Amino acid sequence: MPNRSSLPPTDATVGEVQQWLTDGHCSARQLIDGYLDYLQRVGRELNAVVEIFVDEAHLAADESDQRRSSGQSLGPLDGIPFTAKMNITTQLGSSDASSPMLRGFKAKEDATAVGRLRAAGAVLVGKTSCDEFAMGASNETSCHGVVSNPWNRDRVPGGSSGGSAALAGSHGWSFHLGSDTGGSIRQPAAFCNATAIKPTWGRVSRRGLIAFGSSLDQICPIARDAVDCQTVLQVMEGYDPLDSTSLKLTPSPLVPATLEPIRRVALITDGLGAGIDASIATAVRAAAQKMANQGIEIIERSLPHLEAANACYQVISTAEASSNLARYDGVHVGVRAESDQLQELYETSRHAGFGSEVRRRILLGTFVLSAGYRDAYYTRALAVRDLIRQGIDQVLEDCDALLLPVSPFAPFRIGERIDDPLALYACDILTVTANLAGVPALALPCDFDEDQLPIGMQLMGAHGSDHRLLEFGQRWQRWNDLHRALPEGSAR
Amino acid sequence: MSWKTVVGLEIHAQMSTRTKMFCACARGSGTSANQHICPVCAGWPGALPVINQAAVRRAIRAAICHGCEVQRESRFDRKNYFYPDLPKGYQISQFYRPYALGGEISFKREDGSEGILPLVRIHMEEDAGKSVHAEDGTSRIDLNRCSSPLLEIVTEPLQMSGVEAARCVRSTRELLRWIGVCDGDMEKGNLRADVNVSIHREGDSTLGTRTELKNLNSFVSIERSVEVEAARQAQVLEEGGSIRQETRLWDQDLEQTESMRGKEDSPDYRYFPDPDLPLLIIESSDIDLERENLPEFPAARRTRYVDGLKIDEKAAESILARREFGDFFDQLLAAGLSGSSASNWFRGEVLKHLNDREELIDDYPLTPVSIATVVEAVEGDRISVAKGREILQAALDQNCSPEEILAQTDEQVSDETALIGWVQQVVDANPDAADKIRAGDSKPLGFLTGQVMKASSGQAHPRMVQEILQRLIQQG
Repeated sequence: MPNRSSLPPTDATVGEVQQWLTDGHCSARQLIDGYLDYLQRVGRELNAVVEIFVDEAHLAADESDQRRSSGQSLGPLDGIPFTAKMNITTQLGSSDASSPMLRGFKAKEDATAVGRLRAAGAVLVGKTSCDEFAMGASNETSCHGVVSNPWNRDRVPGGSSGGSAALAGSHGWSFHLGSDTGGSIRQPAAFCNATAIKPTWGRVSRRGLIAFGSSLDQICPIARDAVDCQTVLQVMEGYDPLDSTSLKLTPSPLVPATLEPIRRVALITDGLGAGIDASIATAVRAAAQKMANQGIEIIERSLPHLEAANACYQVISTAEASSNLARYDGVHVGVRAESDQLQELYETSRHAGFGSEVRRRILLGTFVLSAGYRDAYYTRALAVRDLIRQGIDQVLEDCDALLLPVSPFAPFRIGERIDDPLALYACDILTVTANLAGVPALALPCDFDEDQLPIGMQLMGAHGSDHRLLEFGQRWQRWNDLHRALPEGSAR
Repeated sequence: MSWKTVVGLEIHAQMSTRTKMFCACARGSGTSANQHICPVCAGWPGALPVINQAAVRRAIRAAICHGCEVQRESRFDRKNYFYPDLPKGYQISQFYRPYALGGEISFKREDGSEGILPLVRIHMEEDAGKSVHAEDGTSRIDLNRCSSPLLEIVTEPLQMSGVEAARCVRSTRELLRWIGVCDGDMEKGNLRADVNVSIHREGDSTLGTRTELKNLNSFVSIERSVEVEAARQAQVLEEGGSIRQETRLWDQDLEQTESMRGKEDSPDYRYFPDPDLPLLIIESSDIDLERENLPEFPAARRTRYVDGLKIDEKAAESILARREFGDFFDQLLAAGLSGSSASNWFRGEVLKHLNDREELIDDYPLTPVSIATVVEAVEGDRISVAKGREILQAALDQNCSPEEILAQTDEQVSDETALIGWVQQVVDANPDAADKIRAGDSKPLGFLTGQVMKASSGQAHPRMVQEILQRLIQQG
């Protein structure tokens, strides 16, 4: 057992833990042991973590300690524990996207983002549960079972990166990799009082991310605060020759200090009206007022086409998913049913391997691309997508960022929405816009409601303005410290 | 009124790149199944395609040579369908925005006139793998071919015969081979064609309903299938029937086509832009670079050989048979040989060696410079023609350079005194032969020349030996 007295406080951020290690209060090995202990107790209780890599983590921690003692530390992430969502491939363990289809699937290589983090000394300690193929907003479609919200175990942690958020929201020291196709990192971050950023599309290589909606997907960091998110993003981001849609960043990485700080924020009023819980609208308005008190200019603006975004998203994301998931056909990677007839092999394998939500989306996506329907759905959705991009650009002509809630409602009860797909899809109405436009969006803790459930807000910025948003997030978190709050029972 | 046949072609050519279209795996059938595969071409989760720029360069070359308009921006789309040898469940192709539009194939009409078959487009795509069906009923998948880079050349429909359709494919095949884009190996399926056939009455302005014949991989099958299918359609129409738009299979053995699937059964491919690949940008400087690097075309080369070097048509034909032949021939010229001696030695020796050794010219060990050195020794009378040939052959047999052997070869003797000595010796030893010659029978002259060459260990200058022989015998 690690020597508890020497370990950092539970709510310590990655930045603080790194200082703790540098100051010699504990070793990376002790830190990792402490974190593994937490994963095995609370992580398992929440059902957030699916696999834990004890031996490999020990090895990596010892190497980190050796580097540190010989003055060759690899920097801010050396010795820091992290987890990866089940839809991100890792050499360690399995990468099953929480689907029976890929049960036991071992990837050959680390995703580029994971590889870069490990090369920077970060220690991969486990894999986290998520909605099946990242399709869901409650982490209830995972083949590994329902994940609990650490703030209220009867509530969902959000999804699809629910496992990552449950860990990030309940303990410090670490960061976690999730993914975001329509809000999958931001909504769980908001539900669990964590900080997360969905980067500009292409900023982080998608190589090794098991695809859902390729033109929307991004690998994202989720952590305790905006400083940690920025540290992680700076290691992961940048051009990857194995993902030809990844962006060449010049200068790379952007030095945040040289960026023009955010001064004018557009409060998007369409995100505060009908369909949005009053407590959430109130909390976001209050946050805007706090920003104004700090000298930020708040301008109320409307974001045209916001109401069309979710329909547009459902068409494009399911269309791409129907194609991305075609490879799981029973012949190649994935579950293979017993059959000597090809058509039957396809049908039974896919029926056995995919859960009902995934099947529903494949059917929807196949439909919207089909001859005779394509123009009415897919082509029209592409046109709407262009309008959404233009709408954001318009607001950004005289504002630096857009402010709106993350989720229209508070974390709901486990089982409350799972039988009503439309009620679940409603979770995404405020988040999908950033994915459709390809712009970065930062989710920040904003307040707690009367049930002591977290409320999140998000800031959306121009294409490539990820570090401007993160710098603003850091200022916000200096003005108030509710992001430091941990649920009862997490503290030691 | 007679029927007119209209044919449209889709020619699929595998590009001869080192690696596949979207990954670093080696292109080629390999020595064992699934030898050349990786997560990208095997469709593993998380793997992403990356465009092979070498394939793009070849595609540009093909477009230039077909006179297409290369598009600055093009894009890859996904063609979705389930098939066991298609591991991703979709093929990456260019459907909405191909990289090349327009262009043409020129070919010879049966009446000898010049024919022009206009192109609709050329696009790039990836090939599928192969399903191998065993006799025991099991099927296996070999993904070595999967994701090999393909060009699809799509033509407009044009009135032509089966022979002419085959000539169009031949013309494109020769062109692609010449510019190093495709090896044209039809047996291996590296070049294959789909043929659309329709017929209409002469004078009708509208085309008839077409049928498509898939995967034809020989000129004979293209020629015959067009003729047989056109005849079938004519029979159907003459019997009052109508043609169904459908895909048909060609049976080479039975010489007949049979229905595979109708248009109504054709799959809905649900094409959409592949979000994993960015727009493909081809700058005009990229096109210029490929144009500059194009090899000289056969027609220009022929003119240079026949009109410029005065090489006869037939000899020029054999040098032009392959681009590499002409390249080698040009190197002989560059090494200082005249057109006629380069032509004689290339056809008489080099081609003979390649034939004897069953070797490709790429693997031929003798360099044009070495050959030219030997030929110059012959032309400078330092060695005989026979000796020159012998040296080249010996260099091949002993796997050494002709120059080395040449250096060890005694020079031809053309000194009269020495020659007279050898000749006298031979005449004295063969009085009967000398008598016959004096009597007007020139036959033994060859025998005596041979004897002199033998006596001189091959060093005597053969033409001078003959002159001296005749002189001495007549004088004697």
